[in-house]
Amino acid sequence: MARTLSSPGSGEREQSKLLLAATRRSFIIIVYVLLIALAFSMIFPYLWMLANSFKSRTDFFTNPYSVIPMPPTLSTYYDALTIGRMGVYLGNSILYAAAVLIVQLLIDSLAAYSFARVDFPGRETLFLAVLATLMLPGSVTLIPTFLIAHGLGLTNTFTGVVLPGFAGAFGIFLLRQFFLNIPRELEDAARIDGSGFFGTYWRIMLPLAKPAMVTLGVFIFLNEWSSFVWPLIILSDWKKYPVTVGIALFRDVNQINWPAVFAGSTIVSFPIVILFVLAQEYIIGGISLSGLKG
Amino acid sequence: MTTLAQPSQPVQSRASRQRELWRRFRKTWPGYLFISPAGLLITVFSYIAIIFSLYISFHQYDIISEARPFEGLENYTRALSDKLVRISFRNTFIYVIVIVPSITIISLLLAVLGNQVRRGRALFRTVFFIPTITPIVVTSMLWVWLYEPTGGINRLLEMINIEGPNWLFNPATALPAIMIMTIWGAVGYYMIIFLAGLAEIPEVFYEAAKVDGAGRWHTFWSITIPLLRNSLIFAFVTLTIAAFQVFTQVFIMTQGGPMNSTQTVQMVVYHYAFQRFEMGYASAISWLLFGVIFFFSALQLKLFISRELY
Repeated sequence: MARTLSSPGSGEREQSKLLLAATRRSFIIIVYVLLIALAFSMIFPYLWMLANSFKSRTDFFTNPYSVIPMPPTLSTYYDALTIGRMGVYLGNSILYAAAVLIVQLLIDSLAAYSFARVDFPGRETLFLAVLATLMLPGSVTLIPTFLIAHGLGLTNTFTGVVLPGFAGAFGIFLLRQFFLNIPRELEDAARIDGSGFFGTYWRIMLPLAKPAMVTLGVFIFLNEWSSFVWPLIILSDWKKYPVTVGIALFRDVNQINWPAVFAGSTIVSFPIVILFVLAQEYIIGGISLSGLKG
Repeated sequence: MTTLAQPSQPVQSRASRQRELWRRFRKTWPGYLFISPAGLLITVFSYIAIIFSLYISFHQYDIISEARPFEGLENYTRALSDKLVRISFRNTFIYVIVIVPSITIISLLLAVLGNQVRRGRALFRTVFFIPTITPIVVTSMLWVWLYEPTGGINRLLEMINIEGPNWLFNPATALPAIMIMTIWGAVGYYMIIFLAGLAEIPEVFYEAAKVDGAGRWHTFWSITIPLLRNSLIFAFVTLTIAAFQVFTQVFIMTQGGPMNSTQTVQMVVYHYAFQRFEMGYASAISWLLFGVIFFFSALQLKLFISRELY
């Protein structure tokens, strides 16, 4: 520092400044090239998926890597929905995701409100017991969960698919944090007006917790929509398969019907794209939050 | 004074504490009602499940037959000498050792570099996030197609005059192929984690470093890395736990083959439990995996936390 300051010629200083600006610029250019290359690698597979889903069989076999279908056709979708049974799978997926979404939000928020606000004896211990289950690897609970569901007569049933997802320790934790930050005065006012525990939760707390509920809801939906292992294990009848299991089974037939796979994949991805466009901030906010807490 | 008064206190306080507890209970009992649905589900599907799993790991247990004899540690000793189990643990270790550092380093670089550019930052973030929100089944199927002998990956390699292998059908390349896809798919998620961590670092630290004449590299090592500690711990530990349990990619892309080269522990657990219905034996293997996961997460936390806070 001192040397540069005392250096006599101002031209020399100019020159080093220019050099610094040039290195900085070339650094930024390299960064851009890297980021753009990676971005392309992430876009193209999904772009091909979309393009191929609109290609006829002959077009697909001659130009599998073109991104413009010539001519575009909906016949693969027709195949996927009828021969590929995508219509049935899609209906099942919607049913499973909706059931888990609604019931888990309700059960989690009730528990979270109670843990945040109702000072019942043993509260801290019970809350810790809930949190501790977050540490359990799914690989250990998979077999006993199946056996319990089997014992309850729930194998190959709608209830069997959704029941274990009806409560989530992560959701309870997330919502409790949120409820703790809501000022108590609001509830006190409600209680003076004669609201009971449930009334306060339903009329005051739930509306206030909307941002947290939306974040959690998006995660629950994405999770259930993509879930694969549990439905694969608990179901044996294709009429009850969700889309994820359905797509994986396109492969089980001797030859993979690629165009139908692409059409099916596009159909599964579609609700997610919509959700991502609508709720991107909630998704990214939620992930950031889980990272900061860790 | 207080010490003198003590002997008579316990009797009195126990009675009054009980009364106090009862009063609290009468005022707050709806709390139990509110947590009971969640409590019931978590008790059944986590606590009873884990005890049940431990119990059957000591028995010969399948769904069909009524006879379920106690076998002591036999399932565990059998697992230790089972060649398939040994191969699966070796593959899983390789998988974890490669993907955990790779994903952490690449996503950290992406976050730091992404923060350097001004234009299109939000766009990059969105694009890198696509594989994360797409169901893993869909992504795996897409990559099965890309990994075909004349598929997208080999066409790309052809452009630089490399003859690509038959990725998923060659024992030497099948596991690397799955690892490449997993790394590619996960960096966007962890980039978001690191971006959130970076946003928490106060700008003054960087300004101070600039005033001191610290270079870019030096600033990265002495400010960014130490202050990202929490995000780094989170990424490393959650990645390790998830990587040890890898299943769906393998199930879709290779089914454990060719020649068991992609057989992972969770695949073997699935195989014994749901294809051969040896639930007891499969549970024992899953407990071995749990032990390994527990050991490594504890080790990581200990290593990270013993380092001094900045």
